[in-house]
Amino acid sequence: MDWPSFFQSLANGILIAGLYAAVTLGLTLVLGVMGIVNFAHGELVMLGAYSTFWLFSLLGIDPMLSIAMSGLILFLIGLPIYRFTIRPILKDPPLNQLLLTLGISIFLQNLAMILWKTDSRSVITSYSGMSLHLGVVHIGLTRLITFLIALILTASLVSFLYKARPGKAMRAVSENNTASWLIGINVQKTYLLAFGVASGLAGAAGALVSMIMYTFPMVGFKLSLKAFCILILGGLGNIPGALFGSLILGLTESFVGTYVPEGSGWAEGISFILIMIVLIIKPTGLAGTRRE
Amino acid sequence: MSRSFSWKTGILLVAVAIFLILYPKLVDSYFLHLTVATFLAMIMASSWDILARTGQVSVGQAGLFGIGAYTAALLYQRLHLPPVLGMLAGATLAMIVAIFLGYLTLRLRGIYFAITTIAFAEALSVIWLMTPGVTGGAMGVSTPPLFNGNREHAYYLILIVLALVIFVVWLIESSRLNFAFTAIRENEEVANVMGINPTRYKVLAFMISAFFTGFAGGFYSHYNTYIIPYEVFGLGISIACLVMPIFGGLYTIAGPIIGTILIKAIEEYLRVTFSYGHQIAYGLILVVVVLFMPEGLLGLWKRRILPFFSGFRQ
Repeated sequence: MDWPSFFQSLANGILIAGLYAAVTLGLTLVLGVMGIVNFAHGELVMLGAYSTFWLFSLLGIDPMLSIAMSGLILFLIGLPIYRFTIRPILKDPPLNQLLLTLGISIFLQNLAMILWKTDSRSVITSYSGMSLHLGVVHIGLTRLITFLIALILTASLVSFLYKARPGKAMRAVSENNTASWLIGINVQKTYLLAFGVASGLAGAAGALVSMIMYTFPMVGFKLSLKAFCILILGGLGNIPGALFGSLILGLTESFVGTYVPEGSGWAEGISFILIMIVLIIKPTGLAGTRRE
Repeated sequence: MSRSFSWKTGILLVAVAIFLILYPKLVDSYFLHLTVATFLAMIMASSWDILARTGQVSVGQAGLFGIGAYTAALLYQRLHLPPVLGMLAGATLAMIVAIFLGYLTLRLRGIYFAITTIAFAEALSVIWLMTPGVTGGAMGVSTPPLFNGNREHAYYLILIVLALVIFVVWLIESSRLNFAFTAIRENEEVANVMGINPTRYKVLAFMISAFFTGFAGGFYSHYNTYIIPYEVFGLGISIACLVMPIFGGLYTIAGPIIGTILIKAIEEYLRVTFSYGHQIAYGLILVVVVLFMPEGLLGLWKRRILPFFSGFRQ
């Protein structure tokens, strides 16, 4: 066996899994707290990527710095989206929620096309081309950094949910919103904050996307589908599951890319095939949590 | 629901039929082209609505559309099969795929079904791009103009198919199928207990829907003379299929028709205004319909506008 290329694929798979996990975090939060699959989550990531791109190319702000800024911008965009579109349909049947968030997603995709055309844009910094050599494995510096930031984002979200008061409120509401209301938690405020935080996470993930992928209007939709695949692999609405799903998807894509002829093209289809196989075998996802 | 024709309805139908037959003589070539595109979209909208009647919301009609489009185009390119036969072959293949997909996705409800259908269309797009030897790959496939570019003939063909779709929807509405579909949509478990076999009816609805969507794809490839995977398997087509009936009003004959006419008019206006992103209206309409007019335009008409006028008359 060709060990160097095996280890290289392993490393690439793990690194890209970090980005996928960052993209999936916000989706998991909204699903876990309010039980809604937000089809527009990918588009929020796309807006985060664009804001990083524009901050970089117009103001020269380093993408590392604009992670926080993109996060803040998307947090502020997320609040009115929740207030005026998501909140009225919280108690609607899941299909209405699907159609509404799908509508937002289509709207934002096309808005991006109107504003910025369909060109693929990329953020190229002075350190973009640098890489580290660990024995036989080459690791791109940007990829490594995005991976580490993705880990930091995940760790911050977990500690927020378990240590901070509003985070604890989110967990309480996700367990039982009536009981939470009875003990004096403001459920509406908690939902609003959860959606804002999820959008902010999307913005931060978007900054990472802009550093290692091309930014174009449909990038969010592509990432949404990967995130759905991850949710279905890892179980809906829990963070460890999202990390597990990201790792499976990242590694599968990476190994297919290396070992299948013309694999990088086929790798783009892996998430769709995984979605179909997993759902057809087990209609409620691998981990089997069902949310109606 | 035995709905017999009154003589008034009969006269109206004959008048509409005569108008539609004479129509190509009344309008210019550009408007005729818009009408063909609108009729094609109506077929897709009504087909989506047939499937939705069983509670299955597909966001992947482009998969079936693309299968129809490519079957027709490739059969012409390889075997010089007459276009109309190619369209029928495409429709049949889409129907066969729908039987498999229908059985495989039977147990999936709601959002899971929707996500699986998106994955289905996107997976086909990847397969098409990666096998250029068979499918033409990213370069697409081109065919000579349908009926040597005679738009009137194309109009009559699409009119016949549209009439057939509407007839099928009418048959569904006025037969026991309507009760079966509605029962399954409202509550599958209860329907099952009442002796309705959800499997059979869901797959049947999927087959009918796929046949016409596949035919629409075949017609599109020949009429448009050129197809690429990004477009015919793309999200845009799947979204168009669902927004038009949702806008007009679900589970009705007129809803998808009215929704399609209005959306096509808006889209044509936006296409002239913006070079990209004219589907922005689709997104906006979905949001507005879900938030403010859950039964679409027809519901709005029945609930708000009609009572207003009848109150006015008294």
